[in-house]
Amino acid sequence: MFFHIVLERNMQLHPRHFGPHLRDKLVAKLMKDVEGTCSGRHGFVVAITGVEDIGKGLIREGTGFVTFPVKYQCVVFRPFKGEILEAVVTMVNKMGFFAEAGPVQIFVSNHLIPDDMEFQSGDVPNYTTSDGSVKIQKESEVRLKIIGTRVDATEIFCIGTIKDDFLGVISDPGAAV
Amino acid sequence: MARRGRDEDDDEVEEEEDEEEAYDLDEEEDEEDDYEEEARGRGKAAARSRGSGGGGGSGGRKRSRQDNFIDDSAIEDDDEEDEDDDGGGRPRKKGGGGVRGFFDEEAQVDEDEEEEDEGEGEDDFINDAGADIPDDDAARGSRSRHSIPMRDEEEDIEEIERQVRERYARSTHIEYGEEAADVEQQALLPSVKDPKLWMVKCAIGHERETAICLMQKFIDRTDLQIKSVVALDHLKNYIYVEAEKEAHVKEACKGLRNIYASAKITLVPIKEMADVLFVESKTVDLSRDTWVRMKLGVYKGDLAKVVDVDTVRQRVTVKLIPRMDLQALASKLEGREVVKKKTFVPPPRFFNIDEARELHIRVERKRDKDSGEYFEMVDGLMFKDGFLHKTVSTKSIHTQGIQPTFDELEKFRKPGDDMNGDMASLSTLFSNRKKGHFMKGDAVIVIKGDLKNLEGWVEKVEDTTVHIRPKLSDLPKTLAFNEKELCKYFKPGDHVKVVSGVQEGATGMVVKVDGHVLIILSDTTKEHIRVFADHVVESSEITTGITRIGDYELHDLVLLDNLSFGVIIRVETEAFQVLKGMPDRPEVVMVKLREIKSKIDRRASAQDKSNNMISTKDVVRVVEGPCKGRQGPVEHIHKGILFIYDRHHLEHAGFICAKAKQCLLIGGSNGGRRGNGMDAADARLGALRTPASILQSPGKLPPRGPYMNSGGRFGGGGRGGRGYDALVGKCIKIKSGPYKGYRGRVKEVTGVLVRVELDSLMKIVTVKREDIADTPTVATPFREPRYSMGGETPMHPSRTPLHPFQTPMRDPGATPIHDGMRTPMRSRAWAPMSPPRDNWEDGNPDTWGSSPAYHPGTPPARPYEAPTPGSGWANTPGVSYNDVPTPRESNYGNAPSPYVPSTPVGQPMTPNSASYLPGTPGGQPMTPGNVGMDMMSPIIGGEGEVNWLLPDVLVNVLRAGDDGPGIVREVLGDGSCRVALGSSGNGDIVTVLPNELEAVRPKKGDRIKILNGNFRGFVGKLIGIDGSDGIVKLDDTYEVKILDMVILAKLAT
Repeated sequence: MFFHIVLERNMQLHPRHFGPHLRDKLVAKLMKDVEGTCSGRHGFVVAITGVEDIGKGLIREGTGFVTFPVKYQCVVFRPFKGEILEAVVTMVNKMGFFAEAGPVQIFVSNHLIPDDMEFQSGDVPNYTTSDGSVKIQKESEVRLKIIGTRVDATEIFCIGTIKDDFLGVISDPGAAV
Repeated sequence: MARRGRDEDDDEVEEEEDEEEAYDLDEEEDEEDDYEEEARGRGKAAARSRGSGGGGGSGGRKRSRQDNFIDDSAIEDDDEEDEDDDGGGRPRKKGGGGVRGFFDEEAQVDEDEEEEDEGEGEDDFINDAGADIPDDDAARGSRSRHSIPMRDEEEDIEEIERQVRERYARSTHIEYGEEAADVEQQALLPSVKDPKLWMVKCAIGHERETAICLMQKFIDRTDLQIKSVVALDHLKNYIYVEAEKEAHVKEACKGLRNIYASAKITLVPIKEMADVLFVESKTVDLSRDTWVRMKLGVYKGDLAKVVDVDTVRQRVTVKLIPRMDLQALASKLEGREVVKKKTFVPPPRFFNIDEARELHIRVERKRDKDSGEYFEMVDGLMFKDGFLHKTVSTKSIHTQGIQPTFDELEKFRKPGDDMNGDMASLSTLFSNRKKGHFMKGDAVIVIKGDLKNLEGWVEKVEDTTVHIRPKLSDLPKTLAFNEKELCKYFKPGDHVKVVSGVQEGATGMVVKVDGHVLIILSDTTKEHIRVFADHVVESSEITTGITRIGDYELHDLVLLDNLSFGVIIRVETEAFQVLKGMPDRPEVVMVKLREIKSKIDRRASAQDKSNNMISTKDVVRVVEGPCKGRQGPVEHIHKGILFIYDRHHLEHAGFICAKAKQCLLIGGSNGGRRGNGMDAADARLGALRTPASILQSPGKLPPRGPYMNSGGRFGGGGRGGRGYDALVGKCIKIKSGPYKGYRGRVKEVTGVLVRVELDSLMKIVTVKREDIADTPTVATPFREPRYSMGGETPMHPSRTPLHPFQTPMRDPGATPIHDGMRTPMRSRAWAPMSPPRDNWEDGNPDTWGSSPAYHPGTPPARPYEAPTPGSGWANTPGVSYNDVPTPRESNYGNAPSPYVPSTPVGQPMTPNSASYLPGTPGGQPMTPGNVGMDMMSPIIGGEGEVNWLLPDVLVNVLRAGDDGPGIVREVLGDGSCRVALGSSGNGDIVTVLPNELEAVRPKKGDRIKILNGNFRGFVGKLIGIDGSDGIVKLDDTYEVKILDMVILAKLAT
């Protein structure tokens, strides 16, 4: 789920940047530092939409660096248990398949794939129903439900299922061919 | 054997006893023949000698059985026998007669002189043990009863059966009564008032004999004051004697052959008394579907499932996976000689009739008489569904502590079989549960009884009773269940940790719940693990189990014994799984701790296919070889082989091993490091970096001037440092052939041949291209220190060109200032954001103007010449800011100044900029090490690694003229220090640049000051040195800390 929230961060800026463009420098650095990171509480920071407030800088003794408390608005993405997501399959193997929804990696175990879908190894490993009508392979888009999340320092990993109503493939790259 | 304590109030029991006695007496005559054997069978119980109606319910029962023996005629017999016994000491006798005789007498004594007070105490003693007895009794009783008809055909079987039933029924009844009296039992534990239990050493193997001798003695001599004698089966070399005083025991033991006069008599503490007679519940009732393990034969250790139990004959029929050598069997059946290879144990395989038939083995199909099931018979062996059905003695199987592994269970499991339905196998598992299996808050599910499938949470655990709060709201608040009726319950998505079993320690997310079996997706291996719900707990921790043994941790690069190397991809209980550094095919080996020679902790670098520098954490793509297409950050580099972590790669914990030359450096967060093909944004950086690949080892160049020029020319030639031609002018090391080990500069490249001017021989030789290693930097970063200034000079040639041609704006003038202002790496790190260099230049024209470093002719060279001491830096290309975990590493090997790599702020513009010559080691913008610096976070990097000096620290001044020790008096804002020269600080006070200072490394016992980290500024004492770590006791808090030696500085005394 996406959220638009306000976060705060202490930015350290090199004294060389002190000047008329200080604010720009600070924002540029903030974006560089923050966008794409992940925290367990808020999830992935997708984009910074604005800076609310830049506090007073504090010169750090000894180094000359200045610490600014910066409040910024950003869009974060955090997956939740039970959430329905659409994701792109990135890899298929006999244990299941991995899919990505933006920065989040989701694993769908073969136990959580409908029983009528079987793993077909080969050049393009895939899961196919017995009648061959539905196929999950790399690049397929699937709709899945997250049943578990694990938050590391740098990534969020989820386990998903497509063994439920209205879940499964929503667009099949193989079908177009 | 004098257990007098009998509860008066235990009337009921007594009555029953009496009845039984009566019955026993009846029977006794018939059974007299069997005495010997039976008595032996029960000898244990008898010898335990609490049987003689020690009081309490179970004691009573116990006794009642022994009362079997009470028979007047028998007593006489026994007495005679005992006499024999004493004389001849025939072991055969020791069981039967003595016991019987004794019992009788005892029983009478018992009844005669009931002693309340004593009885109370001991009672419970027995009860305690007795709680387990009923089954035992029953089993034993049934065995003996059952055996009667077989041996004594005339016996009225029905009659016995009836009696046996009666007895069973009664014993159950009694049990109820007992359970109710739980609290009373507590009160019956032995107290100080009761007789003590003494442990007496006796001849090994004669414990029972001794006990019986003592009993006999007690009968013979009424003055003995011992109360009872116990010989335990499982305790060799000792018997227990119950008596009030040690003297009594001594008296009783006097003259006994099996007890040495000198034997020590030890008192059993009151608390342990009950334990002495605690009967291990050995009564794992062998029932159908229990898992057992074979003790003997080819099937030794194999898991088997009990299909039938014959308690009478003490035999069980078990189901095994056959280990058949059909070939041998066929030969045997055909009458051929079979050479028996004893060492060969055929692997377990299911029996296949067709296979057997093919080998012309006759397979008969027979119907079992009892069960009515059909079996395939081969050579007298019974098979069913591929399993071997084997009847063995109960003694030849292990029944305790069986923990079937999943593989084993899987084999036994028929397709479509629900594991959960397999109650019995569950019970085996449950019996292995550890104490405290359930904890408050655990989610559980009921698996037995009326409330099956009820979910709930554990509220309270009392021994084997678990109180749960049911999930359904309209049920009572808590329900009590037996532990065995509950199983832990998990939902898919739960994050769990395995706490026992083979997979112990692993964590993962539950993917599927299949009865009491969970399928977990391991966090690290991304593999499915099957575990029993019983073996896991919910946890948010993430591990693969243990991640380190000794000094080695998961994902470490290690040097193996046989000089191969690899990455630890898995840590098991006693060994590591190591992915070896073989790029052609992944090879995983299991190594023990001792097989690992060392950890390879060097920050190496390598070159990719296009000769870009790769250092760790760079993202590369494999473009050739078996792992083609893979991509990920480089975790380790060693000998030109990369270990890449690809999170999409599921095998080997995501690690891929590839040759550096098969890879291409690509973008990603470390994109700034790419050597060529940089995009516009990185143009400047790129410009700075490109040469990295040609410049790896400036320090390695010979200390001769001319190269400077040649280098300059070469650079001016406009080669961008890629392609083979770039080799020309490069310093290389010859790695094979007759000139192996020589270093030199490439003069010319013609096809596969390279002409190299050797540094040491002053001659030009021609070697094959593949014989040279053009990344000598990788090899030996340890050499640096010996390169003195002179040695470094030649580094310019290779470096200079980039200025004119790639970063024109970085004209000569700029550089020195840079160096002067701050270490260039900082500025470079900030380059993308920083104002144009010219600003700096403009701002400080004096600096560079006055710098003697400037020599006409080679203007760009000079400034670079300055940094010489930093060559160490130059030569450690892998050391990037990001990667440097400890400051030690960055300034490693290089004595002059700990600031070398990381002076965060430039040196001040002191007038004597000459001092920069030796003093700005960090000033080599081109050093690969700098290249590795993360442009994003120089601040952090800088802060972490620099040891800013602090006042009062003892330093060595390394400035020409002022050489020698000094004491820091003051640290100026730019990092330079005012130092009082002289070891006692009474010399002149001079201002010295940080890189001309070196903190004096403290020795053990020295007073120190901490220069960095959380404890910066703290003063303490170095109480020990452990490798690179110092053990420091802080003055303020008296805490003992282990800190890196690098951040410790000796305090001036």
